[in-house]
Amino acid sequence: MDLTGRFGGRSGDGVPFREATALESLHLDGDDEFRQMVPPGNGGGFTALLELPPTQAVELLHSSPSSSQATHHSLGTLTTFPSNSVLMERAARFSVIASEQQQQNGNVSGETTTSSVPSVERIKNEPAETDSSQPLISDQAVSPCPSQNNRCGKRKDFDKKVKSSTNKKNKSSEENEKLPYVHVRARRGQATDSHSLAERARREKINARMKLLQELVPGCDKIQGTALVLDEIINHVQSLQRQVEMLSMRLASVNPRVDFNLDTILASENASLMDGSFNGTAMQLAWPHQVMETEQSYHHRQLQQPPPQQWSLDGLNQTVWGREEDQDHGNDHNSLMIGSANLHPNQVKMEL
Amino acid sequence: MQPTSLMKEEFLKKWQMGLQIYRPLIDNTSVSERRKAIKLSADVAMASLRRGTTCWSRALIQKTATENNFLVRQMLSGIKAETLINKKLPKVMCHRKIVRRSKKNFMRRKSRSVSEEVAAKARKLIKRKTQGLRNVVPGGEFMNNDVLLIQETLDYIVSLQTQVNVMRSIVDAAEAGIERTACYLEKLKFTIED
Repeated sequence: MDLTGRFGGRSGDGVPFREATALESLHLDGDDEFRQMVPPGNGGGFTALLELPPTQAVELLHSSPSSSQATHHSLGTLTTFPSNSVLMERAARFSVIASEQQQQNGNVSGETTTSSVPSVERIKNEPAETDSSQPLISDQAVSPCPSQNNRCGKRKDFDKKVKSSTNKKNKSSEENEKLPYVHVRARRGQATDSHSLAERARREKINARMKLLQELVPGCDKIQGTALVLDEIINHVQSLQRQVEMLSMRLASVNPRVDFNLDTILASENASLMDGSFNGTAMQLAWPHQVMETEQSYHHRQLQQPPPQQWSLDGLNQTVWGREEDQDHGNDHNSLMIGSANLHPNQVKMEL
Repeated sequence: MQPTSLMKEEFLKKWQMGLQIYRPLIDNTSVSERRKAIKLSADVAMASLRRGTTCWSRALIQKTATENNFLVRQMLSGIKAETLINKKLPKVMCHRKIVRRSKKNFMRRKSRSVSEEVAAKARKLIKRKTQGLRNVVPGGEFMNNDVLLIQETLDYIVSLQTQVNVMRSIVDAAEAGIERTACYLEKLKFTIED
């Protein structure tokens, strides 16, 4: 902050220099952040999720019920559900997705509070930025919680700035705002003019990301030389893509029998069950043994209490129910995912 | 850095939604058609995890949208599908005059020492490999920035790993549990009829 002040003082004679330092400081700042979490402008904040322990992430995910309910309400009032059961199912699914998205929003803002507190605070101290973030807030005034909204808006604003400065566009507008940055120093024997400083910062950034890539790609951390590493990365990506092709082929060859069975079963079932258990029908294509689980659990629930078969047009009521289902669902997945990433046939039998 | 269970879960949800939407279309088709449908829906599910924040996901969505517009629209209905599909990716601006001038300069610099030659060769090799990476990552041709390309590659690899993990576990489960499913469903049928 002091340094920016100084630069501001002599900005009359040294404008380009100041610009460059601010720029590369931004690079470095992004760099540091990348080690903690990928800048969400590009990474979408998911690698930040990777850094968080899953339990915490789940907590964050479920921590914004009020906002999601609000969107449900709006959704419910907007859409009129037809009487066709399939369509209703689909609509329910969509509302579930919408809630998920909203939760994700909440999640992102939660992350901001946890992982990058200093940057946010720094931004908070600056009046110019709050001014500039006003339109953003008004843009996404969906969720009722204002503080969260604020954070989101600021976060986005910040990201936008980082992006635009890396793209080297509209520098003049960037210049006016004070930006948080890390000072770059040239070591002995290194060039000190702004261009080579910026270039060095860029190279460092590329190297840091390459290192991350090397960690990600198996068997790549021993290799020396950028070209070979790039070769390995290309091979890895291609092999992954081929695996996806192969897996979809296998699944396509497996599916029809499952389909057939489930179709006959579902045809024989009564309509109320069809209406209620969109959960099970959703599963049927993809995960047969989980279908069983969910249907089993559904039956248990049915025994204990009558399921909400009447799909009232009240948006809140039904979507809340949908969310409950969804969360149950998620837990199921979670246990399965964590417990058995690679399912053995024996294990499946044991489970059954 | 490995794909988390949260990501897997979300991907699975999206993918199931896609398959469900596709169901009426793929019920009575050949294996190859079904394979294509499964692949498409998995791709869209993977891309929609990012909600259009990354270049590769946008490129992938647009690519799949040209193949099957209906499915993509249905799957992305929660996430502003129109803007994602129709959004133009930033074009790489390349001024013809500047390119020509730089080529001229390059030709003029003939007299170089051996070390310079080697360095130039290495740089050329890296450039070629980077081009290869651009061709592999969807939307790579729009990333004129090396840093951006590497970031997107990171993101893409993690997403691909998620996709592969989930798909593999599902395929394994499907192949192993298919017989058991049939048995169980028979039993279920009897209980319902009773």
